[in-house]
Amino acid sequence: MNLESHGHEHSADRVLLLMATRLKWFVGSLAVVFAVILGSYWYYQVVRGEHYGRLAENNRLRILRLDAPRGLIYDHTGQLLAENTPTFRLLIVRGRSADLEKSLAFAADILGSDRKDLERSLERYRGVGSDVPVLLAEELELNQVARFEVSILEHPEFEVSASRRRLYRHSDQTAHLLGYLSEPTAAEQDRDPTLAAADMIGRSGVERLRDRTLRGTAGERTVVVDSRGRLVSEEDVDRLDAVPGESVHLTVDLRLQQEAQSLLGDKVGAIVALDPRDGAVRAMASSPSFDPNGFAGRLNQEDWERIVGAPNRPLQNRAIQNTYPPGSVFKIVMAVAGLAEGLIHPEERIWCGGATRIYDRRWRCWQSRGHGRLNLRGALQHSCDIYFYRQGMKMGIETIARHARRLGLGEPTGIEFPSEREGLVPDAEWSLTSRGLPWYPGETVSVAIGQGPLLTTPLQVAVMTAAVANGGFLVRPYVLAGGARRPEPIGLDAGVVAFVADALANVVETGTGRSARNPVVTVAGKTGTAQVIAQATWTRSEDLPSEHADHAWFTSYAPVAAPELVVVVFLEHGGRGSEVAAPLARRMHESYFGASPQT
Amino acid sequence: MRRLRTVSWQLAGSALALSMVGLVLISSAELTAGYVSRQSLWIALGVVVMLIAALVDYTVLLRYAIWIYVVAVLALAAVTFFGHEAGGARSWIGIGGLGGQPSDFCKIATVLLLARRLADSQAPVPPRGGLWVTVAICALPVLLIARQPDLGGALMFVPALAAMTAVTGVSLRSALVAVGAALALVAGLWVFALQDYQKERVLSYFQPQADPLGSGYQVRQSRIAVGSGQALGKGYGEGTQSKLRFLPTPHTDFVFAVLAEEYGFAGVTLVMALFLLYLGNGVRIALAARDPAGLLLVVGLLAFLAGYVLYNTAMVVGLLPITGIPLPFLSYGGSFMLFCCAATGLMIGLDLRRFVNI
Repeated sequence: MNLESHGHEHSADRVLLLMATRLKWFVGSLAVVFAVILGSYWYYQVVRGEHYGRLAENNRLRILRLDAPRGLIYDHTGQLLAENTPTFRLLIVRGRSADLEKSLAFAADILGSDRKDLERSLERYRGVGSDVPVLLAEELELNQVARFEVSILEHPEFEVSASRRRLYRHSDQTAHLLGYLSEPTAAEQDRDPTLAAADMIGRSGVERLRDRTLRGTAGERTVVVDSRGRLVSEEDVDRLDAVPGESVHLTVDLRLQQEAQSLLGDKVGAIVALDPRDGAVRAMASSPSFDPNGFAGRLNQEDWERIVGAPNRPLQNRAIQNTYPPGSVFKIVMAVAGLAEGLIHPEERIWCGGATRIYDRRWRCWQSRGHGRLNLRGALQHSCDIYFYRQGMKMGIETIARHARRLGLGEPTGIEFPSEREGLVPDAEWSLTSRGLPWYPGETVSVAIGQGPLLTTPLQVAVMTAAVANGGFLVRPYVLAGGARRPEPIGLDAGVVAFVADALANVVETGTGRSARNPVVTVAGKTGTAQVIAQATWTRSEDLPSEHADHAWFTSYAPVAAPELVVVVFLEHGGRGSEVAAPLARRMHESYFGASPQT
Repeated sequence: MRRLRTVSWQLAGSALALSMVGLVLISSAELTAGYVSRQSLWIALGVVVMLIAALVDYTVLLRYAIWIYVVAVLALAAVTFFGHEAGGARSWIGIGGLGGQPSDFCKIATVLLLARRLADSQAPVPPRGGLWVTVAICALPVLLIARQPDLGGALMFVPALAAMTAVTGVSLRSALVAVGAALALVAGLWVFALQDYQKERVLSYFQPQADPLGSGYQVRQSRIAVGSGQALGKGYGEGTQSKLRFLPTPHTDFVFAVLAEEYGFAGVTLVMALFLLYLGNGVRIALAARDPAGLLLVVGLLAFLAGYVLYNTAMVVGLLPITGIPLPFLSYGGSFMLFCCAATGLMIGLDLRRFVNI
């Protein structure tokens, strides 16, 4: 060892000492960092531990919904009208998709549909959380199901669920009556927390009316899942079974309903049949109709627009949701009113020369040749207009309106469907408040033959007819079995009703309603041919059809001796009631009383 | 002599205890069979490496530090550019059935060379180049590792460099230069070396809610695992976060989350205490070193290990961005286990030779 190395060694010791001091400082600062980290663990584990414990539970537990099968709908003979059929549905959890566009392209490829369509259908769920499975497609075929199942690793966002789909076996024949289903909106889900995005709720008809009953109550399964959302075991942590929806029975007779819809065919109009004794609706058909099965399977945008935008509005139930001038069918009201008020003597005769002059205007009878001298019976039988012009002038609008309302016109019939229109029975007060015009006496003349501002629904005409058929009782029509209400007496003299009923039997026997006559059952009825052109001023312009053909009416009941069925046939722009509507009523009565005679 | 034994025994003992805890956690995660037996094998191999490292004279290693460094960096460069690709990163060299990561070897080589150079810098006639050469020694492997790309591994050189220069003693000016160089290095990494997914990961750390299913998802799930362990934990094999795979890599980088979930704050405190025991004994060895180079060598190795421990535990609880940084002795994985054991062995060897004169 030389000096240099000695010096080196000495300085090395000094360096070591310095380094040791610095190291201690360094260790000290390190200890602070350790303390900070340990402090964080203390904070998350001890202070916030319970919170994170709950989060861990939420992570591993998933609540699966158990859908409740929707209740079935039967007609009054026990025939199935609406049922559920198994289907495979494709759900997507948007939050699990790395690239939604690619996911949809993948699904579109398997489904054989367009990616754009799928994108559009997802827009409905804009307000729905991205971790909620939402419906993408229904009615998957088995090979499509298999393709989604095998790609579960690359596409964990897709879920295929075995489910049920609403099936309306009779499709468009019961569409307006039963209604259709669709998914709840975000707002509806907010209001009712039991609703899930993929649920279906009734949108019209009986499906809407009895939605709560039919829907049942969904159940829940709590299961343990891993981070990919796969079931860890088949055992449930917790389970609450679904309560299936209750069945609903209708008063409707499927056979008669089908007959009504097929009689309408591609004509525009409605047929209503009800039991005049209690108001039970046996058939309620509206044409054009639609296929409600398409709704249950979710229409694409184009189909929906096609249905909603169709010129004849197939979604509208013409039996209750649209109003029309009743035409000569209203002469039943005139006869009842005149007799009840003592203003018409049955044997009073009025001359019809085909036209007459009232209030300085020329008024015509539909029969331009004229009917000659007619009493009330003859005037009803041949539907003479001149006779009722004269009687209307005599009675005045207030009397006419009062009796029209007593017979159920001008207000909702009270059938269960909330979308029913109330029609219009005009009078002087209405004229002032709604039009700001005084009532003109000439309008009374129009109303007397069911024209003017007067508007009715086919169902109202059926209720009015039922009052004659049942001897003077106002029925409340109903479609839900057990919904009968005691008919209310109108307070009509039995003789008045009997006279009118007898005259209506003559209408079919020898008058304008002859084409309703048939070998099966005796029918009473009244024809109506409502002019549209005179009505134009009282109709909203968009409702004004391009052609101005008359509306055809025929209201009827059978058998004459003890009426069991009222049938109203209405054909929009159909032509003459006696020629086009009465024959359809005949077929309805034949069908109802012929094939299965009522006791 | 008695103190020597205690220190070394405590160092080795705490390392072994930590490894055992790791084994329990790995078996609890119940992954594919074979992880536990393979990890046991690595631990056994680690003990052998530890013994060998303790027997080798560290002064010899320091003497040839430059050549060890050159070999290590060349090996690193070889795998960086030609190595197998595993999990998106080129880092493994196949040696028979076992895999070895030159980056782990490189850590020891770099610490050796830095210790030698920084010790020499305190000599009456210091080598030329100053701090720049010191930084460059560190920067070369860092850039290579970052290219693999293994951001975490590269980052872990920083505490070692910082600790060794700090203990050596640097002027304020040099310290500022070092900080500036470090910032420049980070900026350089960000622009040239980092892949998009790595940048995303770092960014998501700062707003984990923005992307709950991306990297933020991992931060969140890890924190849920830690927090839900509460004070005493859910018990062996009861950790739902790890068993149901909500936790990413529960056997490697997130093994500490498994510990926190199943054994709670109690388990966390116990393992932290073991680490402190280990590091504390390491510091005692450093303080007893007979020459500056030996002291710096121990400081460098300790800083490496402490950096891993602190970063990993901070990352698991969500204090730092997630990047591939394992926990010494506990995480599954062979090469890193061997590095930790070799470091332990070198420290024991130093302790054995502290009274030996030249």
